[in-house]
Parts: sequence; C-alpha cells; structure tokens
Amino acid sequence: MDLSLTIGGPQGGGIDTSSNMINRAFAEAGYNVFGVREYHSNIKGRHSYNHLRVKEERPRSLKYPVDILVALDPDTIFEHIEDIGEGTKIIYDKSFETSDLAQARLIMRDTAKRIKETLDSASLPNNIKGALELAKKKGGIPMSIPFGEVVTTAISEGPASRYFNTLGSAITLSIAGLEQKFAEAAIKQVFSSKPKAVEDNVKVVAAAYNYALENGMAGEKLKVLPKKKRLLITGNDGSTMGKLMGGLRFQTYYPITPASDESTLMEEHENLQYIQAEKNKLKEGGVVVVQTEDEISAVTMAQGAALTGSRSSTATSGPGFSLMAEGISFAGMDEVPLVITVYQRGGPSTGLPTRNGQSDLLYAMFAGHGEFPRMVISSGDVEECVYDAMSALNYAHRYQLPVIHLIDKNLANTTDFVPDIDLKKVKVNQAVRPTSTRLSFKRYNLDTENGISEMGYFGNDVFWMTGDEHDEIGHVTEDPVVRDRQMRKRFRKLETALNEIPLEDMVQLLGDKKAEITFVTWGSQKGPILDVIEDLKKEGINANLLYLKMFEPFPSDFVKEVLGKAKMVINVESNMLAQAARILKLNTGIDIEHNILKYNGRHMTEDEILEAAKEIIKGEGKKLVEVLENGA
Amino acid sequence: MAHNFKSDIAVDWCPGCGDFGILTSITQALSELNLDPKDVISTSGIGCSGKTPHYLNIAGVHTLHGRSIPFATGIKLSNPHLKVIVPGGDGDMLGIGAGHFVAEGRRNSGLTIMIFDNEVYGLTKGQAAPTMALGEKTKSLARANVFTKVNPITLALTAGYSFVARGFSFDMKQLKEIIKTAILHEGSSVIDILQPCPTYNNINTMEWYRERVYKLEDDKSWDPIIAPGNEAQAEEKFRKAYEKGNEWGDRIPTGIFYDNRTIPSFHKRLNEFVPNYYTNPPATQIVTGSDGYTPVDVEATFSEKIIH
Ligand SMILES: Cc1ncc(C[n+]2csc(CCOP(=O)(O)OP(=O)(O)O)c2C)c(N)n1
Ligand code: SF4
Ligand SMILES: [Mg+2]
Repeated sequence: MDLSLTIGGPQGGGIDTSSNMINRAFAEAGYNVFGVREYHSNIKGRHSYNHLRVKEERPRSLKYPVDILVALDPDTIFEHIEDIGEGTKIIYDKSFETSDLAQARLIMRDTAKRIKETLDSASLPNNIKGALELAKKKGGIPMSIPFGEVVTTAISEGPASRYFNTLGSAITLSIAGLEQKFAEAAIKQVFSSKPKAVEDNVKVVAAAYNYALENGMAGEKLKVLPKKKRLLITGNDGSTMGKLMGGLRFQTYYPITPASDESTLMEEHENLQYIQAEKNKLKEGGVVVVQTEDEISAVTMAQGAALTGSRSSTATSGPGFSLMAEGISFAGMDEVPLVITVYQRGGPSTGLPTRNGQSDLLYAMFAGHGEFPRMVISSGDVEECVYDAMSALNYAHRYQLPVIHLIDKNLANTTDFVPDIDLKKVKVNQAVRPTSTRLSFKRYNLDTENGISEMGYFGNDVFWMTGDEHDEIGHVTEDPVVRDRQMRKRFRKLETALNEIPLEDMVQLLGDKKAEITFVTWGSQKGPILDVIEDLKKEGINANLLYLKMFEPFPSDFVKEVLGKAKMVINVESNMLAQAARILKLNTGIDIEHNILKYNGRHMTEDEILEAAKEIIKGEGKKLVEVLENGA
Repeated sequence: MAHNFKSDIAVDWCPGCGDFGILTSITQALSELNLDPKDVISTSGIGCSGKTPHYLNIAGVHTLHGRSIPFATGIKLSNPHLKVIVPGGDGDMLGIGAGHFVAEGRRNSGLTIMIFDNEVYGLTKGQAAPTMALGEKTKSLARANVFTKVNPITLALTAGYSFVARGFSFDMKQLKEIIKTAILHEGSSVIDILQPCPTYNNINTMEWYRERVYKLEDDKSWDPIIAPGNEAQAEEKFRKAYEKGNEWGDRIPTGIFYDNRTIPSFHKRLNEFVPNYYTNPPATQIVTGSDGYTPVDVEATFSEKIIH
C-alpha cells in the first residue's frame, strides 16, 4: 500500500479537518500518514491543500502524480491539473461542472493565465469540463458526485455544504478500501468535544460509504494492521515539545508565519506536566511566553531572561530574523545563552510568506556585525525538531552563545506519525547553581583553556555586561591586550564544541558507505532523498546521502573524507544559490558541481528529485543544475 | 558594613554634567531602601547616560541603543522578585527605543525607568533629541531644530504607565525620594529627569531650570495616589496629571504626577496563568530530572497529540 492524495479547497473551508480525519482513520487501521500543508497568505477563500501519503511503514516523502485528488471547490481542479496522472481519481461535486475558469477569481492571475494556456493548447474550453477532459487525457478518472444530494440523504437541516469536507474525505477513505468503522472512529476523535457534530458527521460518513458502494467506487477492503499508539505532530509541535523537555521556561515572539504556531502552542501548554517520579523531588513550574512589540524586543527580552539563568529562546521567520541581527551580535559578544529558532520561508523581503524555502542559511551564518562565535544547526524531520531543540538549549548553555536552529516551512507544516518521544535521548545539562552571592564576579574569566568561563546569574551574582569590549568582570575596556584575549577566549568555545559534540549530531553519512554517488542535503529534503536512494537502487544505481546538520562549527574533516571518496556528488537544496554548498566550500575547499535546486516555494517531491538525479547521473555529469518546479 | 552602591569605576562624564546628580540620587535611594545588592539590577542603553550601570555597584547590563527596556523586562519577568532599574537617555528611550517605551506602559512589568532628559544626543555630539522643542538652536546644532518635541510625561501617561514623575538632577533630595517611591511601586514607573548637558545644550542649563522648576508636592492639596479601593478616582487624577504634564515654559512642575496602585503588574497577570510563577519562576527552576534527563512528561502535557 502506497497511497498519495491531495485534498484541496478554499482556505478556511475545512481542509485541515478533512486531513485530520483521514490521518486518524488510517491511524485506526494501523497505517502511517505523512503530509504537508500548502496555503496562501490569506485567511479565507484562496486555494489551500494538503498533500498526503499513506503507507504501512512510515512515509518520509511525498510524490506526484497523486492517486486521489479531492476537490472541495472548482479551483482545486484547475490548480492541480499538473498533479494528475494515470489512474488519478478526481472526487468533486457535480455542481462544479458548470464552473468557468473566469469565475475562479481567487486563483492568482498568473496561475489562471497559465491554466488557460494549457487548456487552449489542448483546444479545450476554459471551464471545469475542459479541465476534466484534460485530466482524462492524462489518464485521470473524474468521479462526479452530487455532494448536496448525498448529504441531504443523511442530514435534512442546515446548509449541506457544511459537510462537504467530511463527505469528500469519507469517499476517499471508501475508495482506499478502509472500513467504515475506522472513518467513524476518526470522526469521534476529530469532533470529540461536540456530540452533535459527531452524530451528524457520522451520518454523513455512512451516506458517503453507501454512495460509494452503490456506485461501484468502494475499493477492495484494505488489510487491517495492528493499532499502535503514536503522536501526530508537525515540525512546529516537535520544536515546542523539545524546547519544553530541554528546560525552556521563557519564550518570546512576535507573530509571524510559520513560526508563531510554536509559541502559541507553548502558551496553550504553559502548565507543564511532570513525570510522576520527579513530582516529589522537583518543584513544578510553568513556562512564560511573551508576545513582544517586535522582534528586536523578542531577541533582547529573551536575553534578559537568560541572564537570570532561565533557559530562554525566541522563534521567528525571515523578516523578524533580520530585525534580530544587532541583538544576536550582543549575545555573541556577551556570551548569552540564547536559542533562536528560525523558520525559513521563501524570501527575500516578505517573499513567499507561507511557502517553503531554505534561503536563510547564509544569513544565519553571518547575521550580526563583528566577529563572534555562534552555532547554527538544522533539522530534517519532525523527530529531529524535538531532539535538536533540546540540544540547541544544551549547546547555548554549555558554550554560552547564540544558537540558531533552522527549520524550513515545509518541515514546520509537515504532519507525521511519530511512534514515540524518547525522554532519555538527550540529557538536560543544567549547570549547578552557586549557593552564595559572588560580588564583582569574574563572569568573563580569561583563565580558561576551553574558552568557557563560569556562568553568572543575575539575582545571585554581581557583575556587569556591556556590548563594548569588556574586562573579566564585565566593565568596558579598550585595552588592546585584553581585547585580543577576550576575542580568542570567545572563539575557543567553538573548537571546544567541535571536539565535544558527537559527530552524528553534526553530520551523518546515510546509506551504503561505499556508494559512488553521494547526495548532499540538509533540512526537509532528507526524507525524499532517502526514498530516491532506494528508487535508484532498484535501477542498479548505488547512492548514499551526506546529511548536514551543523553548519557552525562545521565538521570539515568528516565531510572532506566522505566527499573525497565519492565519484559524483549531487547537492540538493530549496534555494537558488546552493547555500549549503557554499558553506561547505568555505570550510573544506570542495566545490560541488551538481545541484538540484528548487525555489518556487513548494516542497520537493520524491518523483522530481529522482528524475533530476537520473538526468545528472545518466548524462554522465554534463548536466550541472536541475531546477525543480513541482507543486500548485 | 553597609553596601557601597557606588562602584570603583572612574566616572567619565563631563565636568558639570547633570548625570552626576542622578547617579548620586540612585545610590542614595538604594542605600536608604537598604536593598541587597544582588536583588537590584540596572539595565541601560547606549549614550552618556548608558554608562550608569558601570558606576553602580549592582549587577548591570549596558545593552544596545534603545533596548534597555526589553532586556529589563526579560530579567523582571524571569525573576519577578528582582528590582530592575532602567537609567537611559532621552534619545535612547523616546527615539530609537520609543516602541519599547510605549509597549512597556501597556505591560507594567515593574521597571523603574529614568529618562536622562538633556534634549540632545550627548554621546554622538549633541544632535537634537526627541525632547528638544521646534526651533531651538543649541550650540551643537548647525541650524535650528526642525522637529517638534515629544512630551515624556504625557506620553508615559497615555502609554499606560502607572507611575509618572519628574525630577531635576540638581535637586538630589527630591529626586532620591521619587526614585525610592518608584522602586517600591509594583508596576512600571517613569521618571523624566531634567538633566543639563553643559557641553552641548547651552539653552536648558542648570540656571535655566533653577529659575523655572517648582514642586508639585508644595501644593498640599496635590495627591497623585490612587490606592486600591479608590479606582474611581483614576480618571480625575489622570486628567489632572495630564494637565500638569503639559505645563512647560516659565514654570516647570517636578514631583509625582500620577501614582496608580490599582493597575495589576504584568507579573501579577502572568501569575494567574503560569503555575507556581511567584514561588518557582523561570529563573530559579530546576529543569533537569534526578537522572539528568527531562522531568517533563511530554505525552501528558501534549496528550491531545496522541493517536491510539
Ligand atoms: C543602533 C545604534 N545606532 C546609533 C548608535 C550611536 N549612538 C550612540 S549614543 C547615541 C545617542 C545617545 O543619546 P541619548 O540616548 O539621548 O543619550 P545621552 O548620550 O544624551 O545620555 C547614538 C545615536 C548606536 N550606538 N547604536
Ligand atoms: S556630553 Fe553632555 S550628557 Fe554627555 S557627559 Fe557631557 S555633559 Fe553629560
Ligand atoms: Mg540625551
């Protein structure tokens, strides 16, 4: 079983409820679902969709064409023409058949123009009938369903359209061969707190299953797998959980997509639950989340909290991160333990505010004036978001510097079934607090081999801090000798970090160590590339993946060793400038010749990476850059 | 022996600068309140005024230009038991940091904000600060100021500060008393301190102020306090404070304009939601379990994320 589907409709029109229902129904039958949410910078009306993949084992990538396209509005059919292939079933409301492309006023103008050109060049009318005709030519199977009539057989009062999303999802589940009881169980979970909604939606599910059966749409009964407990979480959720597990107790933020979901989720969970065994030993406490007046305040307020000993952080996205630059420089100069989670979206400027991108790596590496040590790490799947968020806090406190944790929008909005969160995977290295007050404390003690001076705590110790160069107790100095010593002390911390941190937390070589082709990537392409490596193997091509997780400090020796052995190296990133490859070259001198890049703001899919990789490999390396373009 | 709140760092302000009087008023206020030096933190921005934390023998952060308020707020909210005083320039607070200044009025975190009001950007050689009046031409300006001025008192009032006062750097007795009351105030306070800058501002000199200042408290009927239970007086007292705040020119009022003790502080508001906030604030929480791993039960905390 390997089912791909897209469910699309107007933003605010119940797409997430539908996906949630599909997720939970498959979970009931023991399957795993992996999905990504795509949406416009809009609250109501514009096209949004969820792209999902269902498998027995955990999927880690998405692919086109989809097996089922569920259209909750006519726009979805127009927008997703390109996602349709041989056998794609298109589920839509019969009433859409009278829709014209010209009426779809919320489709972006340029997109509508392109759809028009596509239809025109196939000599098809600019309406849904034309689009469905085109779909048929591609092998698609339109399944016209009178949504309103089907709902009315179950529910007589209120507008039938309120149940269209449940209807569409239930038909999908029926086509997939999932038994009705699983769909009903999912409804109970999705609408748990509203008994009337459960009752009505269960009726709609029954009507949908009946309709599918009577019309020969119901799929062959799907095998039921053993049911397991799992967590259904996104990258945003993972980072929130990891931070709280890692001891975060102070978070600041200014609202921005796709970062603020992390902070609002944290606020909802400010009342932390402690493990039973620790309850008696520890005093329980909560987390303080502050919505600030801007990101300059967010980055500086979090530092104020850190000075008292709190584990603190802020989360933002490109525009907010730009505002934080001066504050990051302060944290570097004054050795403030601070985590900045940067959710990358398509830039520059406001860019593609709700779309994917990996174009902030170079900025994360260099943001802030002057020279100071920082750490830059990145996550590639939902579980990594959890453990990396914990590690980021550990690093910030161990090495007393700003740690920038990069998560791309695609990962932030990926929903994944995580079997378990391992509370014992990452230790929480909180330092033991001094028991007596230390006056004129040498916070910036120069007498330290590893560059780390003992932490001081406001509220306990008296010392000073200044953005100016400073002496050991933190007063301003312009003495040239102390300046040199403080600079060197600060940078020694990075050498220490490189020596102390396990290699696998910085970089991993995944797959056959001896493969001749090596992919290089970071962030959310990790899953799709691992799938591509399996696809290639079936074609007799042996490849592995050099997966980068830490860019500063950079594990140069290992990277050099691996790339030195590879016959062909293909770098894959969601940006235009191949930013990770540039950092890699800066550190190792190695120039990666082949790049697969994508910067249209949509997630990379298995099929397009595979195709591009094959172009490069089969073209014996003549082809240097492949730019991917999938996605509505 | 009593703690000496003056540090041993050489003060490098110009001779005759009003900042000296402010520094002395602060150290005296801290001594008279008999505060434990570890319980008071000072944060400043950048400017001549920004150097103040180094001259105080308490923990201090000389932050970025304009950012002392968010740093201070982070310290205070992470450990609400600390007193946080925020000395800073008028450019720092009302120019580059004006957004934070207004936001803090809404928060009411419990900071003691002291604006060193010299009408110029001292440390960058005397450019016009937001407090300088339109048409004024100090000796450091090439031509008369083309901006109108912002009024720190009325701005603080409208931003929502629950304690608003004005002091004069050459009246240390009054200033010290204002600072003491402000530090004890539960919410955030703003003290606009008239601070002659003899180097760049030859208009608003010590003598100029001496001729004009008068004390609000000299009028025995002046009562700016709104005590719990008297919430109904707030509107009237706010109006009076605003009126007095607009007085400038031949007569300049000093003293406490507004002291509303009925507006809950930000930490009090947080305490309603965050468990054990006062007894176990972020700053002092132990976040490592007895085995070195997290004590947080993530599945219990995020139980809605579990699918069975
Ligand atoms: C972001 C930034 N911009 C500019 C400066 C340069 N600068 C240093 S002090 C200062 C003005 C200080 O004026 P004020 O806040 O009134 O303090 P005063 O020196 O008058 O006490 C400026 C603009 C800076 N330090 N940081
Ligand atoms: S420039 Fe003005 S404010 Fe700065 S120290 Fe000199 S007199 Fe004081
Ligand atoms: Mg000034």
